[in-house]
Amino acid sequence: MIEKAQTRIPVKLHRNVALVTTEDAVLAEELLAHKKLAENIVGRLSDRVLLIRAGRVEAVVQELRRMGHTPQVL
Amino acid sequence: MAIPESEQWNLHTRHTLKRYEEALLRQVAHKLCKPRGQWPMHELLDRIASAVTNTPMIDRRLKELPVESRRIMCVIARSRVARWPVGSLIEMLVALGAKDGLAALVNLLESGLLLPELFPLGSDPDAGKTASRARLKSFAAWLTRSDPMPMVLASPLVTNRAFKEDLGIACIEVQAEGSTIHEADGLDWPLRVAVLWQQANGAPLRRTQQGGFFKRDHDRLVGDPILGSPPTDALTPIPDPGLFTAALAFATGLLHEQETELHAGAWTPAWKAPLPTLLVHLWTALGRIVSWNPAQGNAPSDLPGSPYTSAYLLAILYLAQMPEKSWASPADVETWIALRHPYWLGKKTDSLGIATFLLGIAYSLRLLQATKAPDGGWLVRLAPLGRWALCYSDEPPAVPSFKHTLLVQPNLEILAYRQGLTPELIASLSRIGTWKTLGAACTLQLEPHSIYRALEMGDTLTSIVQLLEGHGTKALPGAVLDSLKTWSSKRERIGVYSAGAIFEFTSPTEMNEAIARGLPAVRLTDRLAIVANEKDIEYKHFRLTGTRDYNLPPEKCVDVEPDGVTLSVDLGRSDLLLETELQRFAEPVAAHPSGDGPGAKGNRTFYRITPGSILSARQHGVALSYLETWFGQRTGMPITAAGWLLVTGSEAGPVELRRQLVVHVANEHLADGLQQWPGTRPLIRARLGPTTLVVDEADVPVFAEHLKEIGVKVLFEA
Repeated sequence: MIEKAQTRIPVKLHRNVALVTTEDAVLAEELLAHKKLAENIVGRLSDRVLLIRAGRVEAVVQELRRMGHTPQVL
Repeated sequence: MAIPESEQWNLHTRHTLKRYEEALLRQVAHKLCKPRGQWPMHELLDRIASAVTNTPMIDRRLKELPVESRRIMCVIARSRVARWPVGSLIEMLVALGAKDGLAALVNLLESGLLLPELFPLGSDPDAGKTASRARLKSFAAWLTRSDPMPMVLASPLVTNRAFKEDLGIACIEVQAEGSTIHEADGLDWPLRVAVLWQQANGAPLRRTQQGGFFKRDHDRLVGDPILGSPPTDALTPIPDPGLFTAALAFATGLLHEQETELHAGAWTPAWKAPLPTLLVHLWTALGRIVSWNPAQGNAPSDLPGSPYTSAYLLAILYLAQMPEKSWASPADVETWIALRHPYWLGKKTDSLGIATFLLGIAYSLRLLQATKAPDGGWLVRLAPLGRWALCYSDEPPAVPSFKHTLLVQPNLEILAYRQGLTPELIASLSRIGTWKTLGAACTLQLEPHSIYRALEMGDTLTSIVQLLEGHGTKALPGAVLDSLKTWSSKRERIGVYSAGAIFEFTSPTEMNEAIARGLPAVRLTDRLAIVANEKDIEYKHFRLTGTRDYNLPPEKCVDVEPDGVTLSVDLGRSDLLLETELQRFAEPVAAHPSGDGPGAKGNRTFYRITPGSILSARQHGVALSYLETWFGQRTGMPITAAGWLLVTGSEAGPVELRRQLVVHVANEHLADGLQQWPGTRPLIRARLGPTTLVVDEADVPVFAEHLKEIGVKVLFEA
């Protein structure tokens, strides 16, 4: 039996995006309230997804660790 | 796929021979294969490459060579090192009695049994460069170069045929006093290297351009309670043990250099092998250490080589020449080297450090056994592991196995009994705990940051628990398990994607379909999903409607409508940042500006700058400079006049409304004349356009009088 060909799904691809995901919205708010961290955040995609300024990932990870968090770097 | 060692050597031999000048290649072929005719180059190359894998032919050629050449091939074979500095080989040749060490090496190179290192083993040289570069014309000329230091490569297939060669070393046997034989467990240096790896993982070691360490890191290595203390399982202390550990870790590849810093690297395959294999790995790395020696300790040097590279091997080979049960005095070994090694010949040196090397390092690496001499000093001989390391036995000594060797205590301390430690267990423990003490029983501490480190390196809560339970003498205490769970789950709270690929779907249904087809993505919103590694994406399922790379500068993707405040976004070129940027100073348009349909039309959405949106933007710190930059980056145009008005209007001076009469004249020349003629000039308040002028209402009678004077008719608005 010939399988029905699958159509290609239209999608827009955003490459090399750096972002922070949090367990909940409160934690995202907590991070945004931290001035040094907020400087490197350029936007918020949802209540728990924050966009990192280009080239500032390492600074964000360092700052999170300084704040006592243990981010999972993916 | 990894290339088998024999195939790798074959390829390397061919690539090297291709770089020989024809005359040199014919000379090598003449000595190695003894061709009867004038073979073409490619055939010569094939014959040489096959001859160095032909054991009867190798045996015949070795027999024809002088004894010095055969001896050095034997030494290379027993060293288990295929890549040697020419200087070290010459030192060993001279120490073994050769009058001209260089001639023996040239002989081997000309016979094709040694290869000059023209490019690193295993690399794939550029064929184009091979043709264009100057080819190798003579070995004698190549050997005289100093930078980079000439290195030779010896295929094990060739050197192994010289195993049985007598090295001509006359040893002095010494009678032992008692029957007690000491042998180390070999774990001292692996453990210290593991501790150093852990410390370098936390903070890399910084080096000066001269090769020494910066003061802070030097002090760290010298003063560290574990690394700076003398080895527990050695017969004599060595100078600067911390710096030796760093040099050893670097030589084995566990530390790697990034610019001027030494960083912790990945655990090499030897750490997954049994202990004897790791110890041989450490032993073979000793020859690559140039910044430390057993006489002076830390000795950073600009020189590329070290006399100890050859001296260490000579010392161990001396012991290997003795009958298996006989003992030698370390001092005799040192004297033997001092009298023969060209580096020390004729020099007055208090100590070469060879005895320190034997009792402090070789013994700790389990290469040697020791016993007491009648004078109370130590005597040494090769241990079974040492004999295997030098290929005097085929099998490594058996290592007893004690799987349950860890005791995890409720206070999060791990007690690791040394007899059960294996290289793999040491590496695993180094990831999950912090080493606190090394001794018969070593201690580690489980800490949040150590567990975090392990998780970052690919361990999971399950694998950590399995490791501790699998090697534990008792069940894991509940408090420890709880802590591990808490620390692991804390890590799950925040994720950072450093370079993810976000898929923006047109509808939630399509996102669900993509995930159902196997897209390894994590949902971010109902239309956005992220893939951590772009390599995992199967693009055959997708039709890309747009691509945006966030490593590139922002793209121009916004057009401004004629009203100067409506912004039209090209969705095919826009990015995720744009929406956030727009929302700072504009409002989404509910209906398309033309009035037909919703705010989004075709592949575009619309935003509008309004007084309210600008007021909000100003309250949130958006300044004119930000908008000027934004318009330049996103529209490719300067900020619009309307936009500028909305932003700066409140700061501009007041707008004045006053009563005035506008005078419309027939043509531009008439307006110019009225502005210039002294009769009317003082009455003109302003010029609004080419044919419009302004006069005060009170001046109208005088103005009309002057116009009448020059014959211009005046009409008043009805």
